[in-house]
Amino acid sequence: MKIILINIIIFTSALFAQDYLQRQYNHADNMFQNGLYYDAITEYKRLQFFDFEKKYSDEINYKIGLCYKHGAKFNEAIKYFAAAESEAVKIDDIYEIKTQIIRTNILRRTTDRAHQLLNNLEADPAYRDKLNDIIFWRGWNYMFADDWDKAAEAFAEIDPNHPLKILAEEVNKKQYSVTFTKFISYILPGSGEIYTGNYLPGLLSLSWNILWGYLTLDAFTHDRLFDGFAVGSLLWMRFYRGSAQNAEKFAIRENIKIANNTLRYIQNNYEGLKP
Amino acid sequence: MLNNKIKSAYIISAKALARFSRMIFIAAILITNISSSIIAQVTEEVNLFSPVNRLKFGNHLFCNKDYLRAIDEYREYLKFSNNDTARFKFALSLAAIGRATEALDNYKGLFFSSIFSEQARMEFYKVNFLMEDYQKFRSLCTMQSYLPEKHKSEIVRLNFFTYLIDDIYLPDSAEFINSFDAEDKSEVADFYLRKKYPPYKSTVKAAILSAIIPGAGKIYTEDYAEGITAFIATGVLSFIAYNNFTNNHKLRGTLFAGLAVLSYAGNIYGSAASAQIYNAGIRFNFESEVKLYLNKKNYFIPVHNFLCN
Repeated sequence: MKIILINIIIFTSALFAQDYLQRQYNHADNMFQNGLYYDAITEYKRLQFFDFEKKYSDEINYKIGLCYKHGAKFNEAIKYFAAAESEAVKIDDIYEIKTQIIRTNILRRTTDRAHQLLNNLEADPAYRDKLNDIIFWRGWNYMFADDWDKAAEAFAEIDPNHPLKILAEEVNKKQYSVTFTKFISYILPGSGEIYTGNYLPGLLSLSWNILWGYLTLDAFTHDRLFDGFAVGSLLWMRFYRGSAQNAEKFAIRENIKIANNTLRYIQNNYEGLKP
Repeated sequence: MLNNKIKSAYIISAKALARFSRMIFIAAILITNISSSIIAQVTEEVNLFSPVNRLKFGNHLFCNKDYLRAIDEYREYLKFSNNDTARFKFALSLAAIGRATEALDNYKGLFFSSIFSEQARMEFYKVNFLMEDYQKFRSLCTMQSYLPEKHKSEIVRLNFFTYLIDDIYLPDSAEFINSFDAEDKSEVADFYLRKKYPPYKSTVKAAILSAIIPGAGKIYTEDYAEGITAFIATGVLSFIAYNNFTNNHKLRGTLFAGLAVLSYAGNIYGSAASAQIYNAGIRFNFESEVKLYLNKKNYFIPVHNFLCN
């Protein structure tokens, strides 16, 4: 009886003895889960180096890619995702890696590349059932490309009440039309700046235009053509054009501010998937 | 009776046989289990963090240019063993990520009785050069501190290059150029001449030219558009002022005269500033070219390809 008991103990201990690679993998995973991405990369790389049979290879490349992505080292992340993709076999794994590459491109703001990859994914018949997912990431790509109108359209394709669609529409409404801002500045100098909420620069612009406009017109009405042309071209036109350019600059700046605020809001409050 | 005896003997031997076979069976199971356990233990015994494995992994990282992680592995390894190759790679990794002071300390550790003595001394000079304290570099060369015996000429070349970057008197041209190989001489001679006779623009000359003809100083500093604009603006404003004064518009005349004076004086100042900007551009471009050239030449130091082969 004793012998049988000893036997069972020895047998089970041999059965459950983890090999060193598995332990290393768990160790690296533990670091990854605790957000220690730099150390996790080191440990995954160590495992990769000693894993002579390449048992963990594709999985490790994927994990290293994720670590680099979390550390905002997007170029390295894409390099490792690409390596993982080339070694992956299962179609679901390949899809997961492909979307990670797209998400990294979105974060890197290489939105054209992300768009191209999304097109390839959409055209691939193997991923027909993932269409909503692809549209979802396209929506995110549009948001990062500052095309909120198209982002809202993309999210509406998934669900007309999609929270990101509502947010994208709000941004679209809040943002200033750069063309309109410039246009009103040409009609009434300074109005573009006032429209974008920059009252003091707007009023200063208006005042300078009134002054130099008056002097120009005064010169012409008193037949001092040379004076009129000189003041008009050197001073008035300069302030007139400057007002429109300034208004354009303000509109762009305000739009970036609105977009960034919304992205920050999404980052902190949106509970769904993010790039 | 006999039958009974034979029967009992048979039973006893059968029992003994059964006991023996059971023991054999148990022993076989025990041996199998213990051996499998030993194999598992041996497998488990592979320690990825042993000094030897750290060195192997560090070398792998070093050759993949992941210097930051290689440093950690070498550091841990060097706590157990003072291996010159590992220390040299450790110092190279430190230098690669810009931790110059630590790199220098580790190179110094290899200066004496090490197979890497020559390479460490060369790298020591290279790091000192990259620290951009050229005066210190020259004094190291003058004092011949830790100079690599077999590669003195390389360090002399690097030393000459400090004169090209620093603002000090250049050594004799023949001595300077002749210390380089034939293939480098023409490029080095070009650098030497450009340093000795830089195509600078005089700030005083630019200001005087603009004082005589508004905008001429800027044209002299090759800022043509600004020069022409300054000439037209000052001329037009002066003419308007003059025209207003002759037509008895004193207020407007004064206003435009003020603007003309501002434009004139601003242009003189602007021309001097333009000459300074032009000269800074010349200096910057020259230094960039010199540094690019040195980088291309690996600072005249042989590349240690053997470390990753």
